[in-house]
Amino acid sequence: MQTDVTSGGKPFIHQHCAHCETGVTAALFRDKGVEISEPMVLGIGSGIFFGHLPFVKWVGLPISTYRSQPGAVFRKAAQRLGGEFVTRSYRNAQKGMDELRRVLKTGQIVGLRTNIYWLSYFPNRFRFQFNGHNIVVLHEIENGFRVSDPVLEHPVDCLTEDLVRARFARGPLEPHGFMYYPESVNPHPDLRTACISGMKDTCNMMLKIPLPIFGIRGMRFLAKTIIRSGKGDFMEACRQLGNIVRMQEEVGTGGAGFRYMYAAFLQEAAEMFASDELSQLSQEMTAIGDIWREFAVVSARIIKKRNPAEETFAKAGGLMLVCAGREEALFKDLQRVVSKFKA
Amino acid sequence: MKANEVPQDETYYNGEKRACYALNDEGKYVVVPSAGWSVEEIVNGLAVDELAASLEETRKAVLAGVKSPLAYHMERRQMTPEILAKTAGIAAFRVKRHFRPGIFAKLKMSVLERYAQALAVTTQELATVPQK
Repeated sequence: MQTDVTSGGKPFIHQHCAHCETGVTAALFRDKGVEISEPMVLGIGSGIFFGHLPFVKWVGLPISTYRSQPGAVFRKAAQRLGGEFVTRSYRNAQKGMDELRRVLKTGQIVGLRTNIYWLSYFPNRFRFQFNGHNIVVLHEIENGFRVSDPVLEHPVDCLTEDLVRARFARGPLEPHGFMYYPESVNPHPDLRTACISGMKDTCNMMLKIPLPIFGIRGMRFLAKTIIRSGKGDFMEACRQLGNIVRMQEEVGTGGAGFRYMYAAFLQEAAEMFASDELSQLSQEMTAIGDIWREFAVVSARIIKKRNPAEETFAKAGGLMLVCAGREEALFKDLQRVVSKFKA
Repeated sequence: MKANEVPQDETYYNGEKRACYALNDEGKYVVVPSAGWSVEEIVNGLAVDELAASLEETRKAVLAGVKSPLAYHMERRQMTPEILAKTAGIAAFRVKRHFRPGIFAKLKMSVLERYAQALAVTTQELATVPQK
């Protein structure tokens, strides 16, 4: 935690977050005086999800996602917490930058969607062409901007040139200089109602989407794909598996990371609703997160060929099936518990 | 995950730390900074090695006169022809055509400048690849 100032001279407390979008959303709300934690934003914005998209390729490999699509958490959380946000995107980079400077001068902090490759303050191996990274800009400095990137420990400086490239990068999911900042925020949001709709939405997304690639069905589908891939070419199967784990642990916050964060949300919600059932579900979610991590460990052993007799693709896929089964039970329980709550 | 189980392996974070949610001794979730995880390093290494190997292959192909330096600089920025085409404002089929050394050599300065701008290199750099 570190303090910086906005251009209006107001102190800004930088909080180290596990995920960019929830971190930015929470920071924007906190700046307006609404104390809200990152897990709370994740829960209210229904950020937890699963999807395996075999036909959408990223560097030649299919995408597995452990979260809802970029932008959804912010949109849903803002709506459910009753915040009016200004969202703008631009075709013209110059216009986009001018508008950013104008808003910053009023003392308002601004959330931006950027391409992570062009943000040179990241260590090299974090940088890849991905257009869904969110950051908060605090104020302008000479040659650049003071940036609070929630996934880093401290606010950093970002060159203007880098920021222009990052905001107006092209390719899949183009950010188009997307920027957002609160216009008015309800100072006393109804957290209970927001949590209930967030949890209900999450249960629906995980259990009810009638396509085999999303939610629990998606997990089972991917697990079966992994088990089957063990019979084919070893190197190719390793590439695929490595990519799944990379998506899980590294890109963004990771599967297990999101599960722990959701467990943290359930814990907070349990206190708010004074519900034992929710705190039990939080513990169950923590246990599921641990299995996701075990899946990552087993996968890494397969790739490194440590103990090939025991660490097989069938075992890795099996662990994912266990996750799927337990998450299914958890979200069904959650659905039952939530339906009893009153706002 | 308990707070004391948060991985603290020295990996590729260059001193940066990532936040993890973990349970403290009282069973409450807190944010614990993690210095890195060896499992992550393995899968990241796999992807990074693959990129590096293919970049090296392209570099050799450029030196051998099979591909144009444009292909090398595009790969160095982890772009695909489609992304480069949109960034530079040049049709994808033309970008792919410009990977051929003979055609690349005859390009007008204005086209080269657009590529240089898109890839954040100078036009001199764009015309060459590192020797080693």
